[in-house]
Amino acid sequence: MNNTYSAKLLRIHISESDHHNGKPLYEAIVAKCRERKIAGATVFRGLEGYGETAAMHKAHLIRHDQPIVITVVDSAEQIAGLVPVVESMMDTGLMVLSDVKVIRAQKKAAP
Amino acid sequence: MLGKGPAKKVTIYINETAQYHMQSLHDAILTYLLNKGVSGATAMRAFAGFGAHQQLHTPKVEVLSMDLPIRIEFVETAEKVDDVLPTLYEMVSDGLIEVQDTTVVRHARKSPRGEPKLPHERRQGPATLLRVFLGEEDKWRGEPLYDAIVKKLRMMEIAGATVYRGILGYGAKGHEHKRSFFHPMRDLPVMVSVIDSADKIAAAAEAIEDMLDDGLIVLSDVEIIRLVRSHAVTEGAG
Repeated sequence: MNNTYSAKLLRIHISESDHHNGKPLYEAIVAKCRERKIAGATVFRGLEGYGETAAMHKAHLIRHDQPIVITVVDSAEQIAGLVPVVESMMDTGLMVLSDVKVIRAQKKAAP
Repeated sequence: MLGKGPAKKVTIYINETAQYHMQSLHDAILTYLLNKGVSGATAMRAFAGFGAHQQLHTPKVEVLSMDLPIRIEFVETAEKVDDVLPTLYEMVSDGLIEVQDTTVVRHARKSPRGEPKLPHERRQGPATLLRVFLGEEDKWRGEPLYDAIVKKLRMMEIAGATVYRGILGYGAKGHEHKRSFFHPMRDLPVMVSVIDSADKIAAAAEAIEDMLDDGLIVLSDVEIIRLVRSHAVTEGAG
């Protein structure tokens, strides 16, 4: 069984202060990924950064506005379907796509 | 529109009491520059000084204190300066106008808070992703290296950068980066990821290389979808 196959990696760059329907945008995006049965999504919080808003995002005593990056890996079709959905949820931000080789250890058949 | 790079700085020296068409000259000049769309001008009242008439203007003598020197400064592109100079020449009948070459390092305009939410603009295309691996304890002229890198990238007008802290790792220096009860020193691995067009990333890589003592720079080709709010649209609508 060959476990290596081509896939797409999607990175979604947003801010911790972004919201969607009252809850943090990163939570909403991860929930959407689960709903669409995307293989997996990981949320990272950056130490600092800047982007579209040109404002420096940094840890602050009372206000948390650090950069958030969500990494999603799945097949090209699944990612292609996800991109417009996430886009409609986002205000401003960046989505980065790259081709990756996936090596997946599968104990049981994929759902 | 004034941008980064070479520009002209105009300095005008006049007296506070100078008149132009029944109003004070400095007001008239500022109004004129504003109407001409000059990106910014500042009028300053000097503490003391003297000019062509060899008469000292000083606040120490009450009679003279009402007529202090005024200095008006503005920075604009060479074309704009050429456009406004003839009129300024006409207005300043008594005083000095000076033009010098200068370089604009930053000309930023903060968007007003609470501006209406407008639909974002979508930009799609190929780009390059750059990742720099370093240690949290790495320093650049006394400040954290990752901080210095992000500041440098901002000055180079790179689209965006994010700093991540790893949980565990090792690299060129051979020592393990980790934090535990026995390793209270915070020298965790740090990664800076930067995304922009290939040529801007090439310039960024060069700049980062100069700052990096030992570390790793990784480049990869990616495709991006950028959602930006265009300020030009905002201005048109507002």
